[in-house]
Amino acid sequence: MEKPQHNPAAISRRQFLKYTALAGAASVLAACGANTGSTPTPSSQQAASSPGTSLPTPTVVSSQHLGSNAFDWQKYKGTSLKLLLNKHPYADALVADLQTFTDLTGIRVTYDIFPEDVYFDKVTTALSSRSSQYDALMTGAYQTWVYGPANWLVDLRQYIQDENLTNPDFDVQDFIPNILHSDSWSGKPGEAPGQGDAKQWALPFGFEINSLSYNKQVFAKHKLRVPRTLPEIIETAEYISKKEANMYGIGVRGSRSWATIHPGFLSAYTCYHARDFDDHLKAAMNSPQAVEMTKLWVQMIKKGGPPTWTQYTWYEVGNDLGAGKSAMIYDADILGYFQNRGTKAAGHIGWAPVAANPDDPKAYANVWIWSLAMSNFSNHKEATWYFLQWATGKAHLLKGAVEGDQVDPVRHSVANHPKVVAKLKQKYPGYLESFNQLIPNSKIYFTPQPLFFDVTTDWAATLQKMVTSGADVKASLDELAESINKKMADAGITQ
Amino acid sequence: MARRVATTNLQEGVAVAAAPPTPTAAARARWRPYLLVAPSIVLTIWVLYPFAQSVWYSLHHYVLSQPWSRPFVGLRNYQKIFTDPDFLHTVAVTLEYTLLAVAIELLLGMLLAFLLNRDSLLTKILRPLLILPLMVAPAIGSLIWKLETNPQFGFVNFFMSFIGQRYFPWGSSPRTALLTVVLVDVWIFTPFIALLLLAGLRSLPQQPFEAARLDGAGAWFTFRTLTLPMLMPYILIAVMFRILDSLQQFDIIYAMTQGGPGDTLMTFQLRAYLEAFTFLRLSESAALILVLWVITYAISYVMVRYWNRARAHLRGA
Amino acid sequence: MRKWLAHLVLIAIYLFFLLPLYWVVAMSFMTNQQILTYPPQFAFSPTLANYKALVLGQLGGGVGTLQVDYLHNFVNSLIVSCGAVGLSLVAGIPAAYALARFRFRGADNWAFTLLSFRFAPALLILIPLLQIYQSVGLYNTYWGLILAYQLITLPFIVWIVRGYFEDVSPELEFAARLDGYGWWRSFWHVSLPLVKPGVAAAALLAFIYAWNNFIFALVLGSSDVQPVTVATLSFMTASGIQYGVIAAALVISVVPILLLAVYAQRFLVRGLSMGAIKG
Repeated sequence: MEKPQHNPAAISRRQFLKYTALAGAASVLAACGANTGSTPTPSSQQAASSPGTSLPTPTVVSSQHLGSNAFDWQKYKGTSLKLLLNKHPYADALVADLQTFTDLTGIRVTYDIFPEDVYFDKVTTALSSRSSQYDALMTGAYQTWVYGPANWLVDLRQYIQDENLTNPDFDVQDFIPNILHSDSWSGKPGEAPGQGDAKQWALPFGFEINSLSYNKQVFAKHKLRVPRTLPEIIETAEYISKKEANMYGIGVRGSRSWATIHPGFLSAYTCYHARDFDDHLKAAMNSPQAVEMTKLWVQMIKKGGPPTWTQYTWYEVGNDLGAGKSAMIYDADILGYFQNRGTKAAGHIGWAPVAANPDDPKAYANVWIWSLAMSNFSNHKEATWYFLQWATGKAHLLKGAVEGDQVDPVRHSVANHPKVVAKLKQKYPGYLESFNQLIPNSKIYFTPQPLFFDVTTDWAATLQKMVTSGADVKASLDELAESINKKMADAGITQ
Repeated sequence: MARRVATTNLQEGVAVAAAPPTPTAAARARWRPYLLVAPSIVLTIWVLYPFAQSVWYSLHHYVLSQPWSRPFVGLRNYQKIFTDPDFLHTVAVTLEYTLLAVAIELLLGMLLAFLLNRDSLLTKILRPLLILPLMVAPAIGSLIWKLETNPQFGFVNFFMSFIGQRYFPWGSSPRTALLTVVLVDVWIFTPFIALLLLAGLRSLPQQPFEAARLDGAGAWFTFRTLTLPMLMPYILIAVMFRILDSLQQFDIIYAMTQGGPGDTLMTFQLRAYLEAFTFLRLSESAALILVLWVITYAISYVMVRYWNRARAHLRGA
Repeated sequence: MRKWLAHLVLIAIYLFFLLPLYWVVAMSFMTNQQILTYPPQFAFSPTLANYKALVLGQLGGGVGTLQVDYLHNFVNSLIVSCGAVGLSLVAGIPAAYALARFRFRGADNWAFTLLSFRFAPALLILIPLLQIYQSVGLYNTYWGLILAYQLITLPFIVWIVRGYFEDVSPELEFAARLDGYGWWRSFWHVSLPLVKPGVAAAALLAFIYAWNNFIFALVLGSSDVQPVTVATLSFMTASGIQYGVIAAALVISVVPILLLAVYAQRFLVRGLSMGAIKG
């Protein structure tokens, strides 16, 4: 029985930060009226606090920079930057606030937005051609496992640690540690994110925790308890599929793509203490606990899942929940969030963490992290760093969470901010509670290695075969593990 | 003259009569065909360079994200393709898709062409509408059909529910996925064949048919001995273009199932796309497409021979 | 009796082709909520919201407002497709003429080679081409795309128009020559008008293929030159697929081709006829 990677230190650090934040908040409230802060240039500080909002300046007392030199936001005035963005509400929030950045720094920003389905194709071709066209880009953590070692991205540690280039309010400790570390990797296949000499390939600016979003009306109608373990989910889903004429129990992704593995599936998988690779970088999808969990997953789809599951992507899963076709989804919490407005099920969506393993009460969740990275071919790296620290800074992220939909905030200060809490409580009750319960055990549970996309695509294809062709689960997983081991050996990653 | 001179395909007499009188004009006439063809050559010849580069990639181990190691591996990528246990399946799926789609499009297209060849009020209205499905981009068309065949919302399954097939799996089951993507292909591209054949039918000379009718020939006999042979060049051109397109079809299959379920629809093009964009292995992608290229080249070569023969046959007949 | 059977079959077949299109048009007047219901709503109260969103550039879903730039993409498609087909006509018609009239060394080989550009899927040359484009400065330019599109449009023009020239009797041209017209003038005033139908047909087909392409623009350009095909995909957002807007986008993008086709219809049917048969 293997324990999932779980760092007890992370919890106590979180608690430590919580108290620090509270202490800081107290001192802020006390100092609010006088508008003093640890940065001595009032005008630029004002600009950094998003004029036009009535939020208290999030000037947390930061021990390193008490009374330090003035941070010149205008140092790179006149530069022009270009961003490559994915069509996503987070990007929209960013774009809507770009003028604030330009006012603050005098740096002009233009951007290209591409649809999500072709977005990473575009990123790949742009980066591989070593073009200096884009300075910063949106990416996920998994992509940095490919782009980083290829030297297409810049290791941001040099900037974060540079006092002259990083504004004192950046407060890198304010990031949720698991999330920040999940965006870093040493480049050594098999070494977990954040371990060893992990290079910070990107900074998080919005993320997604995988949990259960469900339709409260249906549950109330049938007087059902919200399921917590995988067997419970199967039972509930099967019940609903039978009892409701036009509805099925649980929606999960099933397309032949890496995107099928990383949300609900891998989260439940982790709950069963299964890993994708063992310590020797040998495929572990056929370990006993992995087989057990996969069998249940296949059962869940067959008994209570969508009829055309193999074609289900993020869109179909979300659409069905919103249109009242499914009672639950096990996917990103924000997917349920988006379906809670302007749809048939709007106003009735609830959220709950999933502790899939009946033998382990802890709810582990894999995460997807939308992040911003710096292109190694940019001709304006310092200016780009200015942009990155602003875009992942407290002010902008707070604005995005309050005024936009940049929830699943990556910073503690934003997640705990009264306005954010109030907004979520009012419009999305249950969302924040689920989020807070899951946060201690939420991170990327994959093992970083260069063949990530091969492995997960093959894995998804295997899942499809098990569900649609009735292939034996153990045999299929054995075959999958063998083929992956061979690929890893061929690519020189393992012997 | 030892050198071959550009000649016109006319009888000698007229050629001589039209031959330019002065030496410089003669030179001009000799070079004219090459000059006329030159722009089209210039506009496309550049493709040889990236093509050659791709061939070069296919002979190396070329991973986009690993610029530090690009060793020459000779024909190893090709060897891997041919010894891959899935290779036969890839060939089979690619050919199955092509044959099925083109066969259905040909039969349906021919039927449509014949039906639309009659002149009536109905056909006058329907003829201009024929081109409509052809205007839909295949990726979008597949997306629309994916929605329509979704048992949750689609109207296709709504109609199917009348025959008890509300949950017909369409693209989501290995048994019906091929049928589904072929259906989309047929929907979009049958008009292409129908239009070409309709045009062909309308250009056929009337006398042979009248003579046959006067001789009391039956409909099937006429069709077999007159219509079909005369229509053959059109059929061949239409079918050839469709075969070329279907062998390389990507958008329709990718939008519908990304090559799934399982490996059911993993054609050459699907595999090549994944290798290039998802796995960043440019060398494997190039090798796969080059194999496909050779297959396509062979098939087209044969078809063009048939086409030339059919044209010559009709000219001489 | 035969007649109404033929009509019945014809209508049945057309239902298959047109019903999905009718549905697309219907969807373009529905909201997402109306689309995502079962049984499908055949009677519904239409809305112009989708079209408004496309034209005004604001997409209001349940979750905030997203910016769209569809009309700009539409113009891009127009420029690139018209440019590509135009250039192909200028280069292709003379080539077609030469291949039809003259038997010269390499004629048939060149014709087949031209066709063979359609065997090479874009994927094969795209990434090397991107690097070439970046070094010569053709990246993200209309001309860059127009040039790339020649691989699609030129073979069409040459192969189809060639057949028409073969149909035109050479005696007409030489009659003009004997009357004192130079080669160019006889080509321009005599031969060319006679193949107008074929040219229209080939141009229309080439236009359709160019219009519906999107991989070239995706790789070889940034947002400035993206065509409608890529733009339509941008309505698949994280907050849900906006089916209604996709449908409206499709309708808008089809309308110009449809008009062009209806106009060219007379040439098209007649035109495509003489291409393939007479050698």
